[in-house]
Amino acid sequence: MSDPLLSVSDLKVQFNTDAGVVKAVDGISFDVERGETVCIVGESGSGKSVTSETITRLIPQPPGRIESGSIEFDGMELTDMPMKELLEIRGERIAHVFQNPQGALNPVYSIGKQIAETLHLHRDVSKKEGRDRAIDLLDRVGIPDPTKRVDEYPHEFSGGMKQRAVIAMALAADPDLLIADEPTTALDVSIQAQILDLLRDLQEEFNMSVVFVTHDLGVVAEIADSVVVMYAGKVMERGDVYELFEDPAHPYTQAMLNCRPGQGGERTIIEGSLPSAMNPPDGCRFHPRCPHAVEDCRTNDQPPMYERATTDQEVSCVHYGEGFDPSVIRDEETGTVATDGGVEQ
Amino acid sequence: MSGENDYADLTFRNLNLDEEEESTNIQVTAGSLGQILTLGLLTVGYLFDYLVVTENTSMFAYMGSPVLAAWDVSSVDWMFMYTLALLLFNAVLPLYNNPRLTGYYWRQFRKNRLAVFSGWIVIGISLMGLLGPILLDPPTLSLTDAYLPPVGITARPEGTPISGVWKYPLGTNHQGQGMLKLLVYGARVSLQIALISTLVATGIGAVVGATGAFVGGIVDEVLFRYVDVQSVFPVFIFLLYLVYLFGAELYYIILIFGFFSWEGTARLVRAEALQRTEEAYVQASEAAGASRSWVIGRHIIPNVSSTIVTVATLILPSFVLGEAALAFLGFSEPGTFSWGTTIAGGRGSLSTAPWISTIPGFFLFFFVLCVNSVGDALTDAVDPRGESGE
Repeated sequence: MSDPLLSVSDLKVQFNTDAGVVKAVDGISFDVERGETVCIVGESGSGKSVTSETITRLIPQPPGRIESGSIEFDGMELTDMPMKELLEIRGERIAHVFQNPQGALNPVYSIGKQIAETLHLHRDVSKKEGRDRAIDLLDRVGIPDPTKRVDEYPHEFSGGMKQRAVIAMALAADPDLLIADEPTTALDVSIQAQILDLLRDLQEEFNMSVVFVTHDLGVVAEIADSVVVMYAGKVMERGDVYELFEDPAHPYTQAMLNCRPGQGGERTIIEGSLPSAMNPPDGCRFHPRCPHAVEDCRTNDQPPMYERATTDQEVSCVHYGEGFDPSVIRDEETGTVATDGGVEQ
Repeated sequence: MSGENDYADLTFRNLNLDEEEESTNIQVTAGSLGQILTLGLLTVGYLFDYLVVTENTSMFAYMGSPVLAAWDVSSVDWMFMYTLALLLFNAVLPLYNNPRLTGYYWRQFRKNRLAVFSGWIVIGISLMGLLGPILLDPPTLSLTDAYLPPVGITARPEGTPISGVWKYPLGTNHQGQGMLKLLVYGARVSLQIALISTLVATGIGAVVGATGAFVGGIVDEVLFRYVDVQSVFPVFIFLLYLVYLFGAELYYIILIFGFFSWEGTARLVRAEALQRTEEAYVQASEAAGASRSWVIGRHIIPNVSSTIVTVATLILPSFVLGEAALAFLGFSEPGTFSWGTTIAGGRGSLSTAPWISTIPGFFLFFFVLCVNSVGDALTDAVDPRGESGE
């Protein structure tokens, strides 16, 4: 396999606040291959959005700070790249789609002007070329009558149409990597499905890699090739989407799959709440809420990423280390999730 | 860059663009070209007038042109032409090129009927100030015609009853200058100070406010501590001092008004821009590779336009009144016919010839009142958030 398009290794991002240092992202690593969709999944506050925004250094600095680690994109190190070069990469090679389509469009410009903005920023195109490209993209993202709608203003678009327009904006310069931060969260379910279909088609057509941030496991099953499960700024588990849904390795992943609604079986709620990012617990971040926590989980730091013997999954859990038996974490109490079905394929 | 090829590879659908769209595109380009050309021409003209042509000589006479030979273009005239050109290319032309948006603004504005009425008065006085001095000769001294009342009125300003004559429709002042001409020439002065000072003040204020808000940190701190310092600076005393040193000249009165009264604009724009900075479209633009100056110019400032319009309509009357007050106190350039000077000239004969002070006073009052009313309606009409119904 060739080098990955994006390689994040041991990334630490901190925010200096009046109350103290918030370790939003605390040493995470993952790779994104060319043409692959990687889902970063986790509950609110787990650091998944910060991760996605740190890739192109969109987090406000200060108070945010990349403490250590590296983000390598197509052979270039992004963490210490001069701003001028970084601006060339933003939009042109790495594009973003954000959560809230209502706010992502500027009310004072027509849709067409905003789609063409990326082109005007990166390439010497005339207004007419920009407008033509905008019409073409609007057509591509499924907006009817694009020659007319290109001159309309955001308030004339519905929520789903706005998100389509935002996706068109992101695709304007034909990026290599699309970072989508919960792009469907603000939309209703039928529109969500359409947008996911659209993103999948576009990914194939434009041959992009996609980093997709979400808390919705249904969306993950729908779109991901591989999954990064985050919890409290750490990666709990990494793996192929089928393997992860079939046979979740980490107790957190298991618990998360178990508390999905509408899958027929008994729902289990994860007791407790996300630990403070300012003062995280020793040992595994998840141990205070983990039903399988043993003494080793409470000391030292987060366990390293152990490679699972049976599959390609990597798990940060002591039970997969030397001298432990991973089978203890699949006892009757929590049950195995995979056999319950519910994985959309 | 690999992107170039990708772009060329794209197949454009819907390429059957009709003639009409071609022409609008050329028009937009012509607009920005026209602006550069006009401003360039004005700069060349000003430099020629300032460096080559001797003082108190019209540049048109210097070039041997009989047309306009009597017009010795002053510094204020140059600034005024600059201001008008900037307004034409950055406010009037974009509105003309975007009839949908203009139509929307007009429908919003029309809801306020008092403002529409005021708007006509403001336009009337502005046209009077803009075109009047071109059509009418300046007022001349004629002591034999002093204290003539307006047409249709008989008064006894100096004991004997006299009636108004059609030569001076609004009567004359104590020096026999026609009130109508004084009004028309005074409107020009008021219009000049109103537009130039307001453009300078809102321009600086908007850029400083938006920059402080968006960039933040030390830049914000330095800019706004300076704003604090400037806001306690005694501008009026400084102006009197300059008048004492160099004599009263309209151009620096205008400039000092402009350069020393943008603090309020900057503070209000900053407050508004702080909110806009948090908007997702700002982040989206940054994610698309926009630099700070691009975000400020293309996203922040257009979205605080309603605040800028509000502040502009608030400070514009204060400039007009400020200049009139200075002129009333006698600090005005000799040879300019400010409304304030005319009002001051009539204050000695208020009981015998009340028209001298009251007519320009009336105009001053209504001009300021109507600008306020128009500003109020404009604020509601151009608010970009009003449109989205949020």
